[in-house]
Order: sequence, then structure tokens, then C-alpha cells
Amino acid sequence: MSVANVVSDPRRWWSDLTDVWRDTRLIVLTAQIAAIYAAILIPFKAGIPIIPGFVELRPANAIPIVASLLFGPAAAWGAGIGNIIGDCFGTLGPASVFGFLGNFIFGYLPYLMWGHLGWLSSGRPPVVKSWRQGLEFGVVCLVASAACAGMIGWGVEWLGLLPFAILAPAIFFNNIVMGLVLGPPLLGFLYPRVQRWRLRYQDIYPSLSTKGPNFQGVETPAVGGPDSDPSESNFPVLDCRDVSFTYPSQSTPVLRQVSFSIHPGEIVMLLGRSGSGKSTLCYACNGLIPHLIAGTFSGVVCVQGRETVADPVWKQAGRVGLVFQDFETQLIATTVEGELFHPLEYRDPPLSSAEMQQRVAYALSRVGLEQCHDRDPMAMSGGQRQRLVMASVLVQEPTLLVLDEPGSDLDPAGREQLREVLRHLREEGLSMMMTEHDHETLSYADRVLVLDEGDIVWEGKPDELLRHPSLMRQWGLRPWGLTECFEGLGVDPLPISVEEAWIRADALNLVIDPPSAVLDSAPGLANQFQPWDRKASPCLRVEGVSFRYAESSVLHDVEFSIYPGDFLALLGPNGSGKSTVARLLNGLLLPTHGRVLVDGLDTRTTPMNELVKRVGLVFQNPDHQIFADTVWEEVAFSATNIGCSEHEVEIRVQEALSAVGFNVERSGQLDPFSLRKGERQRIAVASVLATKPSILIFDEPTTGLDAVETDRMMAMIRELNQQGHTIVMITHSMSLVATYAKRCLLLKEGRLIGEGSPREIFSMASLVQAVGLKVPLITQFSQRWGQTLLTVDEVKASFQTGSS
Amino acid sequence: MNISLYLPNKTWVHQLDGRTKTLMVLGIFILAMCFSHPAYLIVVFGVVMGMLGVSSAGPNVKKTWVLTALLFCYSVVLWPFFVEGMTPVPVLSSLGVTWEGLLVGMGMGLRLLIMLWGGIWLLSTTTVEELALASQRLGLPSRVGFAFSLAFRWVGMLLGAGIGVVQAQRSRGLDMTSGGIFGRIRKYVPLVVPLIGHALRQTNLLAMSLESKGFHPSATRRFYAVQKLRLKDYMVISVVLVLIGLGCWMRWKGIGTLDIRF
Repeated sequence: MSVANVVSDPRRWWSDLTDVWRDTRLIVLTAQIAAIYAAILIPFKAGIPIIPGFVELRPANAIPIVASLLFGPAAAWGAGIGNIIGDCFGTLGPASVFGFLGNFIFGYLPYLMWGHLGWLSSGRPPVVKSWRQGLEFGVVCLVASAACAGMIGWGVEWLGLLPFAILAPAIFFNNIVMGLVLGPPLLGFLYPRVQRWRLRYQDIYPSLSTKGPNFQGVETPAVGGPDSDPSESNFPVLDCRDVSFTYPSQSTPVLRQVSFSIHPGEIVMLLGRSGSGKSTLCYACNGLIPHLIAGTFSGVVCVQGRETVADPVWKQAGRVGLVFQDFETQLIATTVEGELFHPLEYRDPPLSSAEMQQRVAYALSRVGLEQCHDRDPMAMSGGQRQRLVMASVLVQEPTLLVLDEPGSDLDPAGREQLREVLRHLREEGLSMMMTEHDHETLSYADRVLVLDEGDIVWEGKPDELLRHPSLMRQWGLRPWGLTECFEGLGVDPLPISVEEAWIRADALNLVIDPPSAVLDSAPGLANQFQPWDRKASPCLRVEGVSFRYAESSVLHDVEFSIYPGDFLALLGPNGSGKSTVARLLNGLLLPTHGRVLVDGLDTRTTPMNELVKRVGLVFQNPDHQIFADTVWEEVAFSATNIGCSEHEVEIRVQEALSAVGFNVERSGQLDPFSLRKGERQRIAVASVLATKPSILIFDEPTTGLDAVETDRMMAMIRELNQQGHTIVMITHSMSLVATYAKRCLLLKEGRLIGEGSPREIFSMASLVQAVGLKVPLITQFSQRWGQTLLTVDEVKASFQTGSS
Repeated sequence: MNISLYLPNKTWVHQLDGRTKTLMVLGIFILAMCFSHPAYLIVVFGVVMGMLGVSSAGPNVKKTWVLTALLFCYSVVLWPFFVEGMTPVPVLSSLGVTWEGLLVGMGMGLRLLIMLWGGIWLLSTTTVEELALASQRLGLPSRVGFAFSLAFRWVGMLLGAGIGVVQAQRSRGLDMTSGGIFGRIRKYVPLVVPLIGHALRQTNLLAMSLESKGFHPSATRRFYAVQKLRLKDYMVISVVLVLIGLGCWMRWKGIGTLDIRF
């Protein structure tokens, strides 16, 4: 049904509105609009005050109209539900019914009106690029704002709570001002992107007519031939034959005739650089491709002998369990048990309550969360949440578990817990396929497939791959440093464990006896960094700092200094206070006790605008700051904020983009949202550099990046350090610390428990273990000779032929 | 970020069926609508306070009392200007404020407090899942209830992301406190856009993750935790129905109502 039909025939309004509830994406959009509306409503309840607490200009009021022009009826439901959720924080009552209705109208009218205002209509998409579009937007905004205000005002007076003449004008004023001022820039930014993501209502709507709820599967011949029986023990659990896939936005296929199979109880690991097709292959295993992900698909994917194209995705949950890389998106309930019962509540045929209970208890025991059944998932650690998601797919008792980079967002403790679960599931004989950058998890795999540009370029045992560093480098994988130490020494096979390395060294009569130049040097052997100057005054001084959030104390009496040219690594488990320290250093947070001095300026009394010129903080997630249409505008934002002239802004943007290796010429046209994560991260660095800070703080800059992107990011940070920037880096990667940092601070439970060079810190095994970290294998190897070496180059330079 | 007002206390109220609690709060709302005289409304208000006390919901009252007190004050201050009366208030008579108007203002303020704290009582004693289940059993389509609980869950995530966005933009020199009113409104753009962009980028992924876990709009949801109404539920429902009946009868007889003229 087209919008024109709906407008011309009001009787169809109801079916137009109820169609939203027939499609998962529209339901998700509805919930997202509601969540966005409520999330902007709640923190900005104290908006720009006119009568504080009563009439305030709140940015949330622009959301329904913007959402309506993008998502149609989903926005109407979303705005209504979002308003009720907002009320759930203290103002829920009968008036919420009128709040729902008012916001529903506010989120529905713009969709109905745009393009149907006769001569007032611009006949163009709902973005304000011409005066006609501006006029149409103004009229739509005016009518929708008035209707919303009228409905709520009338309802609240009918309830006898507040007079119409007081409330309705206040709501109208809020809606119209926010709609007119914020609406056009929001639409200008969102419309082209939502169009690209195929999320506009008209992009989703056609799928409703083609994909009915009664999608019937077709049985396909069993893969092993007509006489094969899927119940046979050697029958493949997963069989992919000539699988190819091309995304609509790309000209080349992301998968090219990929063929492989997984047998019962087998664990297969997919390796490859970002963009090699690993995640795409995961999505093909449970039918997300081709059912939900648009593109050109060919080939056959069979799970237990049944083609994935034969059944809709939701019906395959009992066969294939898929854990996404961004596992947080799979958490939907407010309790652990609720999370596990939810998928079972949609089973067809239904399960009895006793069986549901039994399955939930078993799934929790499989991931070691038996004691957490009534906890709120959001109050759990990242590692626990990851295991909860695994339990929520295991509760369906799938034959195949697919894990897409399960450890990428976890700290070392979380990764260790994950390995423990994998060990347990392996013993149970569950078939698994997983993609991973963390090579430690490789030891659980029976077989490794390396993907490169959509092809399987290598297949074999994990050991075989690890013993060939040159192959790994060729495919953008990071070889183990320990193995690299023995390259070129005529060792065959190369060692992949400390024990093996010890035996090989013994066989070659090698000992580690570092020359003094190695031990005296800063990391990287060649003393390539400018030594940081402890004689100079500290550029950052943290004096007896404690900090507490409303309910808990996070830092206790922390004291340290950072000197110009330093490269400091902040280490510690999740929750130890590292990110809080970073935010205290640039004045985002102010100490509860003690003080932080930046170039001698107290952060408690220095304006933020002064501090950002000295300390730049690059956040872990670049998407939390990107908002501009082009890379150039994004980087210019910071320089403009600190009051630079137009000419100065231009110079700074050019310098900042050059510093992060970005093409300045292209930056005026390039959409930052269309870039890969590594590139978006570099844009975030450039935008911070535009304020020319002498101190740069990086909060986990390599999370989610592959080996190539990590090397590029770290090379850039090292370059900035060499140019004179003081670097503070939060990281969980000990190999990065070993290679790049000059000094480390160890935090545990908000207390500073260690400080020193990486060599000093790594030589204190108990200290490192106390914060749940593991020193690199290379360091463990050198420590057998009583030395603490940090890099491959250091070990190679320290190898000496033994006397016996 | 946990944003729920639910307090996991082990009171008998918490153990009531979600439908019973929903009916209780609806009863409170109806009673509040039956009266306009503050003397009667204060009795209903007392009942709400009692319910909050029995449920050990004090922490949530503490959290929201400033907002509710402000709204009460607005009501008391604003209504007298819209209500006609016979007895002028000495100092404010030139503004047309009468004692009858003040009485209406107090009554409406109390009604507002009853409704708001009634809502807080429900949210303090009932989880989002319980509410979704109760609403489905009271006739709301399960998909609407599911979208509500999904949105409720995501608000927490988005609030966490929102804090990150505000911090990231402040770290780039964004100052929300300076400039004129329209300039300040425009400064919301760098805050709102990343938040919406961040959420919408995940739409397809969220839909895929739901269907991967077995959800589909056409599938019928059969709740695991389907409670049956127990004796105490029936007892509470009976009391609520009697009180509603009494309130409606009093309203019909004109007891506890003010003659409001605008």
C-alpha cells in the first residue's frame, strides 16, 4: 500500500499502522525510535530552561517529526511508546495515555502530509534543501506540533490535572521550535544514510508483501547423496558448496565459490583480515543470507542436510546458534532467565514449562552462569554477558554453534572465561565454527580455514599455520612473536610454545644473553623514540586523586606524573578505573578529592575550552562523535569550537588529516559514516589533533581492529609521539605495551599498584598476575634465562651461541 | 546502564500477579478522578503512600519527590487563575485569585501526586517482563508488549552511549552553556546525530539477531512464567472493585466534588 493510497483512503490507515507489526525490522525500528526518543528525553529533561522543570526546550521533541518522515507509521508507534517509557521515570499515570496519543499523532501526521499538500508540496524527498522543501517542512511541522499539543493539552485538562491554556502552548512551543531548528539538520544528515542502509519505510515496506509469515521450507536432497542419512555420525553438520555472495553496494563478491564442511563434534576456525568474508560466511550458516541480507547469493548451504534457503531464519534457531560479534545486540531482557526463556517462548511446536525450565538450567550450567539466573544482564561483566548470549542460543540446543569474533570486545579475564566455556563445549562434542583474531583460541580448533578476498586460501591444522609466519603475514594475520624469533635460524618446525622454543634453543645451543644496549634501550631496540624527559616539569600531575560516582567509589588516592614526550600505558582489568583516570586527565570529570594539574593548570578551575587545547582524548568508539557530512567538516568541528579563524581552521584540518595519513583532497567529499572502523578511528584522532593538544590520550585504540589496521594505528601513534606529543594509552594488549610503551601504570580496584617501564613491570610476575594480565610469550621465553625481553628484535639480538 | 525503577524487594505486593497490580493502579487512578475536593483526595493519597510503604518503595519516592513537589506547586499556583470563585484571597484578589480556586488547585495537585506516585508504585513492584505479560493477558498484542520491553532495554544502552557522546563532544570543545537560545539548540545536533546514527546502524543487525534467536512477528509467544491468580490476588481485586464502586457511587451522589467553573 502506498502512502498516496493511505492518504486518499483513510479507511486504510488502520491496516497501514498494523502492518508495522508484521515485519521484524519495522518492529526493531519502532523499538529503536521509542528508545532514542526516551533516551534523549530523559537526560535532556533539564533542557534549555524557560520555566525550569516545566517549560524547557528539549531536543527530543524534534525526534517524532524527523522519524516520521523517514520511517512512516513505525515512527508513530515509536514516538507513542517512547513517551510512555519516558513517563516510566517518574510521570506515569493516566495522562500518559494522552501523551501516547499526542506523540502518536506527532509521529504519524508528517508521514501522511509530506507530498500531499497540493501546491504547497515540493514533490521532493523530505530534506530541506530548497525554499519549497523548507515551506513544506514548516507547514508539516506546524500542523503536527499543534495536533500533538492539542491532544495532550485537552487530555490533561480533561483529567483535571493542568489547564489547557498552560500546557498546550508550552508543548506546541517546544515542538515547533525544536522541529524547525533541529529537524532540517537532522534530516539532512539522516536521510541519505538511512536511504543507503535501506531503512526508509518505503525500502522495508515492499518486503512485507513478498515475505509472508507462512514462509514454507522445501526439503532438498541430502548433501551426501540420495542414500545418505543425516543421522549418520559422519554426515556433515554444515556443508557449504560453491557459496558466493555480493553485497548490493559492492561490485566484487565478498565470498567466491566457498566450499567446505564441518563434521559432528568438529571445531573450525575462520581466519582472515577484516573484509575477507568471515562474518558474511557466518551469516550464511543460519540463512540470514539470503533471507534478511540483501545481495546476490549463489551456491548451497546445508545444515544437517537441509538447505538454509528452505526455511526462514527464525525456524533455523533450533539447528544453528549464531553469536554476533557485537553480542550486546542479542541481549533483550532485564534478567538472565528472561533472556533464556524468551527464545523458547516462540518455539513452534511449543515446549512445556518443565522442558523450558530444564533447558534454561542446562544452558546456564554449560556456560557457568548457574548462580546468576536472576541477575540483570546490564549489571554483569562483559565476559559474563558474552557467555549469557551463548547460553541464549544454546538453550535452543542447536547442532552447530557459530561464533563471530567472540573475544574481540573482551578484556583478558573475559577472554579466559570464554576459552573455559569453549573447552567445556568441545568436551561435550558440540560442532562449532568461529572467527577470531585472538590466536590463543586457535588451540581449541580442529581445523583452520584462512579466507582472503572471499576465497579459502588455506586449510589445515592450527599448528601448521602457526608454524608458518610468512604465510600468516601474507594474509594479513599476525604471527606469534615467539615463532618469528626462530625464523631464519634453520629451525624446522618453528616453535609455537615456550616449551618448544626452549627445546629448539637448546638444540641449536642458543642462550639469551642480551647486550647492554638492548636492556638500556627504550622499547623497540633501535632506541627510535626521543627519550622522555623526567628532568623536565611534568605536563600532567595527578595529586592524591580520589573519585566517586553517585553510588560507588572508583579511584582511591591515586598519584602520578606524566612528563613531556612520555608514552604511558594505563593497564588494569575492566572496572579498575582506567577510563575514569583518562577522563580526569582532560577535565571531563573532576576529582572528588585531590587535584589534576595540566601544564600547571588545575582542571577544577580551568575552563574545558582551555584544557582541550592541551589534552586530547580519543574515545574507544569513534561513532560516538562522528556527526558531520564530510570528513573535512568532522575534523574542523574541534578547531571551530575553540575559536579558530576560518583560515586557521583550514590549516589545522590539513595538518591533522596529514598526520593521520588521510587524503586531504578527498576529505571534502568523503562521508565519515561510510568508512571502515580503522579509518573512522583515524578521523577521530584527526579531529582531536585539530585542537593541537600536546598530550593525547587513547582509550583502547585498537579494539576491533585486525592486525593490519592495528599496525597502522600504532604506527600513527608512534609517529605522533616522535613528533613530540605525550601519549597516554589504555590497552589490554600486552604485546602493544611491550612494543610501544615507555612506561606503565598498573591499576587495580581504583588503586595504583605499580609503575615502571614495561621491562620492570613484566619482570614482576606476581604484579602482572594480580591485575589479570599475561606477559607476551616472547617475554615468558626470555624469562627462562632470567631476562625480560619485550620484542622479537630484542630476542634475536640477544641470541648467543652457548659455551657447551 | 540500569534505568529501571523496579526494586527487587520480597514484599507480598511484589508477589501479586501483574494483572492484579495493574488493576490496583487503575483503581487508584479512577478513585483520583472520582473526587476533586482535597479532603477526599488526601485519603486516596494516603492509600497510595500506604501502598508505597508496604512495598518498601521509599528509594524511588526519594528519587522523584522534587519533580512531583514542583508539579504540585505548579498546580496550586496555576489553577486559581483559571477557576471562578466567590471568596477573594485578600492579597491576590486583584489577580482574581479566590479561595475556591486555591481549593481546586490543591485538589488537582493532589490528584497529580496520586497519579504520579501510583505509577511509581507500579514500576517499583513490577518488572518490565511482568508488565508485558500482564498487558498481553489483558488483551494487548504480544508484539506491542515485546517492542515496549525491547525499547525499555535499549534505553539503558542508549543512555550509556549518550553519556559517551556528550563526553566525546565536550572533549572536542563543544560548550553547551554559551551562545543565544537558537545557537544553543543547534549545538544539540552534534549530540543527537551520533546517538541516532549509532542506533540506526544497528537496526539490521538487531533484526537479524532477533530472528537468529527464533523470534518472528507471526510466531505466537507462550510465556513461561504464566502465573495463575491466587487467593490473595482475588482478595485484593475484590477490595479494589469495592473501592472503585464506592468511589463511583460517591461521585454520582456528588460527594467529594467541587463545583468548578472556568
